[in-house]
Amino acid sequence: MTAPAPATDGPAAHEPAAHEPAGDEPAVHGAAGGGPAPFVRVRVWDLPVRLIHWLLVLDLVALSVTGFLIGTPVIDPGGGVYWMSWTRTIHKVTAYLFIALIFARLCWHLRSPNPWSRWTEWIPSTRERLGQIVPSLRFYMFLTREAPPVVGHNPLAGLTYCVLYTMFGVEIVTGLVLWGAEGTGWASWLTGWLLHIVPLPTLRLIHHLIMWLTWGFMIHHLYSAILVDRVEGTGVMTSIFSGNKFLPKDHR
Amino acid sequence: MTRESGRPLSARLADAGVDRRSFLKFCAGITATLALPAQMAPRVAYALDSVDRPAVIWLEFQDCAGDTEAFLRSRNPSVADLLLGMISLDYHETVMAAAGVAAEKARDDAVARGGHLVIVEGSIPTGIPGSCTVGGRSAEQILRESVRGAAGIINVGTCSAFGGIPAAGPNPTGAVRVEDVVSEIPVVNLTGCPVNADNLTATIVHFLTFGEFPARDRFSRPLFAYGERIHDTCQRRGHFDAGQFAEQWGDEGHRRGWCLYRLGCKGPSTFHNCPSVRFNGGTSWPVAAGHGCVGCSEPSFWDSMSPFYDRLPHVATSGLDLTADQIGVGVLAATATGFAAHGVGKVVQHRVAAHRERQAADRLAEDAETPAAETDGHGDGDGSGDGTAGAAAPAGKAVPSSETDGGRETGEVK
Repeated sequence: MTAPAPATDGPAAHEPAAHEPAGDEPAVHGAAGGGPAPFVRVRVWDLPVRLIHWLLVLDLVALSVTGFLIGTPVIDPGGGVYWMSWTRTIHKVTAYLFIALIFARLCWHLRSPNPWSRWTEWIPSTRERLGQIVPSLRFYMFLTREAPPVVGHNPLAGLTYCVLYTMFGVEIVTGLVLWGAEGTGWASWLTGWLLHIVPLPTLRLIHHLIMWLTWGFMIHHLYSAILVDRVEGTGVMTSIFSGNKFLPKDHR
Repeated sequence: MTRESGRPLSARLADAGVDRRSFLKFCAGITATLALPAQMAPRVAYALDSVDRPAVIWLEFQDCAGDTEAFLRSRNPSVADLLLGMISLDYHETVMAAAGVAAEKARDDAVARGGHLVIVEGSIPTGIPGSCTVGGRSAEQILRESVRGAAGIINVGTCSAFGGIPAAGPNPTGAVRVEDVVSEIPVVNLTGCPVNADNLTATIVHFLTFGEFPARDRFSRPLFAYGERIHDTCQRRGHFDAGQFAEQWGDEGHRRGWCLYRLGCKGPSTFHNCPSVRFNGGTSWPVAAGHGCVGCSEPSFWDSMSPFYDRLPHVATSGLDLTADQIGVGVLAATATGFAAHGVGKVVQHRVAAHRERQAADRLAEDAETPAAETDGHGDGDGSGDGTAGAAAPAGKAVPSSETDGGRETGEVK
């Protein structure tokens, strides 16, 4: 199986990061004494990516819980406490944060100096990335044991984020229509024209369904991360905390 | 009816037994309905008093006459009188005294003079040729001819404004709204099932006072009546914010007048001034009577707002009728099951492959004892398919290669 070799992975993972190497010139670890396993530490997820990732997780939890309660207000009404009003307020504030985070991530896709934070990681456009699609598919379909060697995501994983962000986009737009319906002028001006095409209750339904689909994605996301972590042994699971992956020296 | 010019409205009303005080009260009330400042009331009164009565043609197509009923059964006794005094209702199938050719002629004469208002009730059937034919002319023909030279069109009720119930799926008559048939004439949509007579009166007063229809929203509905959501002006809103909901018809919350949101009230999706203007002379309105809003003043309400007693629409096909939450939980369960199965598959795949590798290594070791074993030292260069195709490969080919886990983790590189 894929148990990581403790002699190399352990010390490397805990070594203090004296300098942060850029993606192009990775620092070499574990090969000092000409040992058997030369691993390189690569800063794959830069700070904005990790920050946005974890803020999004917290935000999605808050949005989902408040959103579900708005749709199904099951809390026993005690009266006196305007908890529905508060729940909707929290939903709106966290929705503002959500829009800001998505917008920031999209900007970072265009501006980041880190190649694994850029849009090319999500949308396979180079010959190399396109060529990895079939091997990735073969890996998930049990035809090979190994995922194709990549530093960040394999192209299929990248594409799932396109799907996720499309869902987020629909969620933001439908949310803005609902917001506009409450009398928020700019939201109505921006998205109210949609009501000519889709009735308001249908938009509510879509808004609600995508919440569930997002949690379906979460299951997939967590599973895939564990799978890749086990198979590749590059420290995917810890990389989203530390930003670092540990790749074989011959990688790339 | 003939046009009567010259005499002020108040004088004509006095003849009809409506005194000046009632007239001024009406003007003040209608000014408030139009959301105009109170200082505008005298201007409204002056304008109404001096205005020439416009000719009005009231057309009925695919309708239930509910809007006519709402208009005629207004509980405020003077409103209908006032309205009939303000306008010259030259054609209205349900209430006019004339019949046959004379009635048709009255309409044609009004159209010939031009500058008239056309009030439309009901949707227009376009899928059945010749349907709703009156005097040899189809609904569509009558509409097209009647709006020629008109100053404006007032659609009363959701059917003429949005197609309404006749246009609901599967729309067997090919019903369309008025705006799908005519264009280039100002249209105001007074939706609702039925229209609120006070909003109709106010719209006509606005037209007579300012010479144009009031400001409208994206669906051509006047903002004074459709500018705010029912939910935002609802008398039960406090219970919503406090989370106090009726959960069953007739339960404690319902008896205490709590919010009907969980019983499917569509107030949050519906724009109308029902909570403030109410119906039948301000007597009541659905939510006050204990029934949730069904969203009757919104486009395609019969399809999009149903089921009326559930919060969200269902996802329904011929064989299925699922709520969003049922689908959501199903998606989560399916995702979790699917990936758990995939995980088991991956574990099995690796176990099997590792087992085969061990066997192959054993055989290689056996072969190494005999000198003739050096057949293929480079291993499986392709590496792909080693999980399943490994069984068919010759024993000597399954040497651990750089493409396998073992190869990577012991640092063997290509």
